[in-house]
Amino acid sequence: MNGKRSADGAAGATCRLESSGGAPVLRIAGDWRLPHLGALDGALAALPRLPGAVTLDGAGLAELDTAAALLLSVRLRAAGLDPAQIALAGFSASHGRIFELVRMRLAEIGAGPPLPKRGVLARIGHTAEHLWLLALGHVSFLGLTVASLAATLARPATLRLKELTAQLEQVCLNAIPVVVLVTLLIGVVFAYLLGMQASQYGANIFVVDGVAIGMTRELAPMLVAIIMAGRSGASFTAQLGTMKLTEEVDAIRTLGLSPVAVLVLPRVLALMIAMPLLTFAGDVASIGGALLVAGPMLDIPPRVFVDRLHTALALRHVVVGLVKAPVFALVIAIIGCRMGLDVARDTRAIGISTTSTVVQCIVAVILINAAFAIVLQKLHL
Amino acid sequence: MTAVPAHVPPDGARRNPPDTAATARPPVLEVDGIVTRFGRNTIHDGVSFTVARGQVVAIIGGSGTGKSVLLREIIGLLRPTAGTVRLLGTDVWAASPEALARLRARFGMMFQDGALFSSLSVADNVATPLKEHARLPPGLLDPLVRLRIAMAGLPPDAAGKMPSELSGGMRKRAAIARALALEPEVLLLDEPTSGLDPITARAFDGLLRVLCDDLGLTVIVVTHDLDTLLGIVDRVIVLARGKVLADAPVREVMAVDDGWVQSYFSVRRMINEEGEVEDGG
Repeated sequence: MNGKRSADGAAGATCRLESSGGAPVLRIAGDWRLPHLGALDGALAALPRLPGAVTLDGAGLAELDTAAALLLSVRLRAAGLDPAQIALAGFSASHGRIFELVRMRLAEIGAGPPLPKRGVLARIGHTAEHLWLLALGHVSFLGLTVASLAATLARPATLRLKELTAQLEQVCLNAIPVVVLVTLLIGVVFAYLLGMQASQYGANIFVVDGVAIGMTRELAPMLVAIIMAGRSGASFTAQLGTMKLTEEVDAIRTLGLSPVAVLVLPRVLALMIAMPLLTFAGDVASIGGALLVAGPMLDIPPRVFVDRLHTALALRHVVVGLVKAPVFALVIAIIGCRMGLDVARDTRAIGISTTSTVVQCIVAVILINAAFAIVLQKLHL
Repeated sequence: MTAVPAHVPPDGARRNPPDTAATARPPVLEVDGIVTRFGRNTIHDGVSFTVARGQVVAIIGGSGTGKSVLLREIIGLLRPTAGTVRLLGTDVWAASPEALARLRARFGMMFQDGALFSSLSVADNVATPLKEHARLPPGLLDPLVRLRIAMAGLPPDAAGKMPSELSGGMRKRAAIARALALEPEVLLLDEPTSGLDPITARAFDGLLRVLCDDLGLTVIVVTHDLDTLLGIVDRVIVLARGKVLADAPVREVMAVDDGWVQSYFSVRRMINEEGEVEDGG
């Protein structure tokens, strides 16, 4: 035996390059398994440059698993050997089987397309396209809903009253406590902070104007819309998404019913009825909140507060707020339902769609509110 | 309970006899006196059996006999009311957290619907256990993931796909690829062929047999699928009334005089009425 070089890995795994009778032999021995791959790789790297053809001798192997066999094959290939040309010697039946199993699939492994990775620019493009298609989809879904509504109006008996009332209870009645609580507290805070500033100029009484107009015209509709986006929009997506996943939506379609008429319309109508009502509850609660702090903190007794409210709060402000509410409701319900019915067929999608619904609803509501502000300003309302 | 030697199907589905060194080792799984109660409901009332290395063992039983529960108790997800489980020599319910973590790297579990991580691609699903538990030399992760995917019989382009883009059969294969990632010694499967068409299911059975033979894997499978039993399984454990009703090669189990067992296998007899000999596989 001449020219013997060896490299030892940890855990007794070794590989040696020897030459017996002129033919080079790579002897591998010891424990060749996944936990020792790092050491094995070191041992393989320490080997000298390999000659063209090598016999692989596995007589000394204690253990061999596919990961180690893969490492060996990959490194031998990198060293310029064709794994398919390596002759095996001394392998036990099971070790030989494992090496063959890996060697057989080596070409297939290398042939696979590279795993896709997207650049920043491509991602921006994909996102932009996605957003555009999303908006387009919402508009087309709105059209579908309106068409379905028209069909229902033509034959009012087809309206699903039971479903509508069930939804009304969900989105309106059950939402009253949270809406009242939130708007009441905002009314308190708003009146208090406004009062702090106004009292510096002895203008305490104008707190009533500020709170009443600000809340009824802008804040109450917005707050209610945001609460509804989180509460009802998200629940629409989750409900319809789950129904889509469990193929209930397909069942509805198979029974000759329209999912839009059965599922979407009652939700859209319920939310459009509920929102103005909730907004009005929010108006009252926020002014009530202001009334609560006006007496003790700002020296405005309730009588004076109510008198001032009569003169300061023109009806048009309240009406503007109440007119915006059903528009917000329509947007929230459409987005919520469409995202639900559009959910992909896997469980992760529901979570993603629900989050997306809330974000989209809030953004849409704020954008529409801005549009309202501009238009109403031009109309001097 | 009688010790049953590895059953060799008549058509020689087992291509390679188990190494003699392997059979001399202690059993892979020892389940001893398992009792499981949920409230007043007794699921298992003293279930005991052992599984030797290199076998494909099926657990069958009517619905509600606690097959999946037993599987969860074996892998340490659900604590039995009483009894011990020794998996690969470790007492699952008395082991330290470290010992349990070491044990978990030595077996692979395939859940009923694959339980692939839906937010990760197939390749990332397979890579997850490797990244968490193995320190791989640089550049080996990608080929190893591809090898696992190929071993599970998936085409190379499946690697970049998301689980939701796969068919039911491919999802199960991807789950096998993930379960095989860390070179487990034992593979446990819950209803691997449920929801698959017969052709896909048989191909899946074939995959299991090949993995078992080539890698020396021990496979424990909970199944309803008669064809799986007849095709690839060495031994069948029948659970009924909280006990092990039978523990033998499938042909012996078919002869057991029990109402449930008889009606279970009678379905197959009806199909084979025309007199053709069912020869497993």
